[in-house]
Amino acid sequence: MNPLLLAVTNPPTVGATNPIMKALTWFATHFIGLFNASAKSFTGLVTGILPLLIVLLTAMYAVTTWIGEERVTGAVRWSGKYAVTRYTIMPILSMIMLTNPMAYTFGRFLPERYKPAFYDSAVSFCHPVTSFFPHANAGEIFVWAGVSAGVLKVNPGAYAKLAVLYFIVGIIVIFIRGVVTQWITTLLIRRGSYKEVFAQFDLAYAEGHIQGDLA
Amino acid sequence: MSYQTVHISRGRGGWGDGLTLTPTADKDVVLSVTNGGIHPVAARIAELSGTTAVDGFVNHVDDDRVLCAVINCGGTARIGVYPRKRIPTVDIYPGSPSGPLAQFITEDIFVSAVGVDQVAVVADRELAYAGERDGGHASDGGSSAGGGSRPGSLMGGGSSAPPAFKPVAAGSGFTGIVVKFGGGIGYVINSLLAAGRQALQLTLQTIIPFMAYVSLLIGIVTYTGVSNWIAKVVSPMVGNPIGLVLLGIITAIPVLSPILGPGAAIAQVIGVLMGTQIATGALAVQYALPTLFAIDGQVGCDFVPVGLSLGEAKPETVAVGVPAVLFSRLITSPIAVIIAYLAGFLVA
Repeated sequence: MNPLLLAVTNPPTVGATNPIMKALTWFATHFIGLFNASAKSFTGLVTGILPLLIVLLTAMYAVTTWIGEERVTGAVRWSGKYAVTRYTIMPILSMIMLTNPMAYTFGRFLPERYKPAFYDSAVSFCHPVTSFFPHANAGEIFVWAGVSAGVLKVNPGAYAKLAVLYFIVGIIVIFIRGVVTQWITTLLIRRGSYKEVFAQFDLAYAEGHIQGDLA
Repeated sequence: MSYQTVHISRGRGGWGDGLTLTPTADKDVVLSVTNGGIHPVAARIAELSGTTAVDGFVNHVDDDRVLCAVINCGGTARIGVYPRKRIPTVDIYPGSPSGPLAQFITEDIFVSAVGVDQVAVVADRELAYAGERDGGHASDGGSSAGGGSRPGSLMGGGSSAPPAFKPVAAGSGFTGIVVKFGGGIGYVINSLLAAGRQALQLTLQTIIPFMAYVSLLIGIVTYTGVSNWIAKVVSPMVGNPIGLVLLGIITAIPVLSPILGPGAAIAQVIGVLMGTQIATGALAVQYALPTLFAIDGQVGCDFVPVGLSLGEAKPETVAVGVPAVLFSRLITSPIAVIIAYLAGFLVA
């Protein structure tokens, strides 16, 4: 029901005779009411999401410190070799270990022609990953937390299923995205004037020249 | 054309003490990373300093050549990427240290809420004076405008401090074991504490501010009854597979996607609004999953060149990669929505 309409049909009784007082009372009631409604939704967000998020973030930051970036580097380099793992395991590991903007630095282990597809795949995982690993992109948690908060309210039993499915469908989607973008990149290389340049890049990569440092 | 030292001060609501930039022969590029095109502020800086403004969205420039980067980010990622590389960063938006790279955003290399009027040429005499006063700060690469280490800085220092544990010289026998054990416990506790501090810092700087403004928005929208109106318009669109796929295509349109991207700000607000619709029952639970993908077709499209350069991609790769990613989304975004729609039946 529209609260404005409510207010019109049931005016407050205080000063009901004086039209100016009536207007003032109306204004005051709704001015406070507006911010009360905002405060209520703020309380809901803080009590509903923050406690779990803070402990989860703490645990994940600690775990990633203990495992260390160096230790996953080997697994990441191995997973870059095959398309199936390059657009599934590689972006997942990168996101969880290095978190949102820095995850894309693992692209340096790949031949030039696969870098756009890897970026596309990794960046598309930066919201599905938050359903289990919020630390990976906590600054953008509300894409997931916003929608899932509604589900939690209506049907708490469906929340866990939604989290699992968001994660799994996310993996399927980043795989498809990686394959499609790789295909389009190849197409653009062939159509454009970049054919020889990329052939050189491939040669350099085969000889073991990876740009930048090998961590 | 000769090079001129320019001073960039913060605008209204901005952050930072301002930057004094001195171009040199091999530091002569103003990088404009503002969703394609050269931003007027970048053009102004280049004009006054006698350097070249370059569109960072389509060109790759070596970090060493960049005099400063001009960004438009109030959010998480770009705001920290250039400060992390110690490249002086000029934000068009009133950004302040936030996001996972907040600790790199310091007053000596970051200034925000900058408009064309905030850029000015520094006269030689003034520069000399500034250099004298700051003990040579202004002349070393021309990045500091003095007072770089003001105590009122937002960052609680040491958030990313390495774990305090250092292996103690191992004793022999029992003492050795005790020392090792104690050291191990110390390492675990210290890293947990550092993790807690990091989590709280992120919560305070990024998550709670977002909650505050989203709450205000939701409060206004529900109290005035606009939410019912939104429900009437959006629910028919999100509440059926064709509308969802359409939304997925719209968010992935190559012209729109880089605009919708920054900080996921739009996707997050829509996510929260959709959540309220689901909570009131206006939208069925099974539509939650496809909605998540439909509102996210643009994810990262604003960030392609920066993301690729983080992966140390060559300029040619950036030139090919940006259109490849943008066009790929037109195909994969609707596919993602359809898969999510089918999987959505498992949720309810």
